[in-house]
Amino acid sequence: MRKFLILTSAAGALLAASAAFADVELTFRFNDGEREEMRAALDAFEADNPGITVELQTIAWGDSREQFLREGAVGQGPDVVHIAFVWTQEMAEAGIVMPIDEMTQYGEFANGFDDFIATDLTMYDGRAWGVPWSADTWAMVYRTDVLAEAGVEAMPETWDELLAASRTVAAETGKTGFAFPAADQVWFPFNYYLWSNGLTLVEEDGAGGYQPGVSIEELAAALDYFGTYINEELVPRSVLAIEVPHDPALLQALLDGSQAMAVMPTNTYRQLLSAFEEANPGAEVPFASGAMMGGSEGPQTHLGGRTLVVNSNTDHPAEAWQLLQYLTEAGLFETYYTNQFPAQRTLLSQIEYRSEELGFADQLANHTRTWGAYAESGAGVGQLWNLTARSVGSALSGQVTSTEAAEQLLVEIERVLDN
Amino acid sequence: MALSPTARDRINAFWMLFPTFLILVGFYLYPTLYNLELSFTDITLLQLRQGGENVGLANYTEFLTSPSFFDIAFNTVVWLTAISVSLKLLLGLLFALLLNSRFVAGLRLTTVTRLMLLVPWATPPVVAVIAWRWLFDPTHGAINQALLWTGLIDDPVAFLAELTTVWPSIVTIIVWNTTPLIAVSLLAALQTIPEELNEAAAIDGATTWQQFRFVTLPYLMPTISVLGLMSVIWTFNNFVYVWLATGAGPGTYTNVLATEIYLRAFVDLRIGYSSAIGIVMAVVMALFGALYFRFFGLSDMQDKVG
Repeated sequence: MRKFLILTSAAGALLAASAAFADVELTFRFNDGEREEMRAALDAFEADNPGITVELQTIAWGDSREQFLREGAVGQGPDVVHIAFVWTQEMAEAGIVMPIDEMTQYGEFANGFDDFIATDLTMYDGRAWGVPWSADTWAMVYRTDVLAEAGVEAMPETWDELLAASRTVAAETGKTGFAFPAADQVWFPFNYYLWSNGLTLVEEDGAGGYQPGVSIEELAAALDYFGTYINEELVPRSVLAIEVPHDPALLQALLDGSQAMAVMPTNTYRQLLSAFEEANPGAEVPFASGAMMGGSEGPQTHLGGRTLVVNSNTDHPAEAWQLLQYLTEAGLFETYYTNQFPAQRTLLSQIEYRSEELGFADQLANHTRTWGAYAESGAGVGQLWNLTARSVGSALSGQVTSTEAAEQLLVEIERVLDN
Repeated sequence: MALSPTARDRINAFWMLFPTFLILVGFYLYPTLYNLELSFTDITLLQLRQGGENVGLANYTEFLTSPSFFDIAFNTVVWLTAISVSLKLLLGLLFALLLNSRFVAGLRLTTVTRLMLLVPWATPPVVAVIAWRWLFDPTHGAINQALLWTGLIDDPVAFLAELTTVWPSIVTIIVWNTTPLIAVSLLAALQTIPEELNEAAAIDGATTWQQFRFVTLPYLMPTISVLGLMSVIWTFNNFVYVWLATGAGPGTYTNVLATEIYLRAFVDLRIGYSSAIGIVMAVVMALFGALYFRFFGLSDMQDKVG
């Protein structure tokens, strides 16, 4: 009996000890396409950190914002979450992410938090709530051989020149000049058009509030500009259903040379280059990138990117922070997450761009702006995005006139600003 | 005091139904009441932990007076519900009559045709919409390829982006995916009709149409009534077909009540406002159900044919 008690006690102690040193299981929600690469990166992290295992979880970007908001509100959700720059303040307001100054007790970043770009977008109530992870923007992409075939010698630099070049390509080759996603992510080129003409959907009113920074006539003119491509049949009407720049219809047209110009983010361009090289080994790459079009003012695109946040409901803040630090190291961007630019000044300065990517490098370094008043006004970039994309869709599809769409959009912007 | 057998039966029945009652209260009544409570607040998805403030009927007023209300209501009632439900009832009846006919039986195709009919029904709605999106695709879609090949069109049609084709395309997807259930249900009802009735009608000189009109149809009406009611409720509340096919676009052209709830709740983050839309939908369906039973008199009809 005594032996049995000793054995039982020993077994109990062993179980207790093993529980104390049991594996920590973290969940990392990552929504980009590089799932296999990220799994390989996490495998390397697990090998370097025995006792920590990481489950990789992915959901569609379109659902990820509200999904995490719902989970966080009821004490659930992944430990480390990959979100858009402009969602960080919302997540902080909802109280579902941990402030960075509480996390740094578990370790500092190699070059300090100040080395990260766009940290202003992580600030809420005077504190930072996320770590900028990757940076991106959109720029122009050209199929140089198609432009040469059409006799377009100089790359367009203004929106008017872009339209003229599209007309030339259509007339000389029968191909598509400039094509764009006309649903959902038309939000980006539409804003670039406004910004490059000194306009903005939301601006500070000088009295501590916010107001629309564009008139009905100016909005209608912007809608008419994009509508011209459809009305003159410079692009197939099917673009009305295209939501994203990486839609197969757009990318395939660039790959097979039936389209000359497009606008897209960095990672899409890198995927395009890879796809071309894979399909045409050894062939000269007929792509170039360039800065976005200018209007009455210079070209401007958004400084976009992703933030990493730690869920305030996590049971393992130290390990979550350890994972987050690993994900921001240079090696991750060099080996695994190669389609993205790191959101750190030191790492950005060390990037060696391919000649085809110089337009993106120029755009990112010299012609970007943050969403600024869009995010700070409290209207929410997501809400403005949805309203704008639907107004553009309404006007371009012929559901309403451009003036009616502009009027409706301004009414809606004023409503969300009031709210 | 000894209970009568009837009283004991009633008590037994009550206790046997009690678990179901609890489940209904927990999973239906409580969420409904909670949704009703939220609809009177300005709660957003960012304030779930703090809760919202009471705004009375403001959400209802805003929705019912919004400029887009009429378009959304029209899309939901006419395109999404009335047209698609009418089409699937009509097609379901035709398929059921065909499958029950001597013609199909004579060709020894009864089993094959019934199995083929079940394929669309067995396809999950999400898969059905994705498959149809590919079929409708302007660049690679089989429908455009076929129309171009036959010379019926000169340029590909963006079926899900053109104002003239987008609603018929959505209705096509809904009808394809849901008609088999109607057809199978009506087929089962058809097989309960005594053959002698049609034989007697034929002897009395009734034409095929008259046999259908005065013998078959009255027998099918109770089934058609129930299927109609269920189809209206399922379709009216449906989110998947429109959202996955068009995302409520182009613009807001195919926005319906269910997609409006999603947009307001998860894009605008206004949970209180979207709850109000949900309550409006529930009230509309409850009223429809009450009127439907009143006009169709389901029990009367059963008496007539029973």
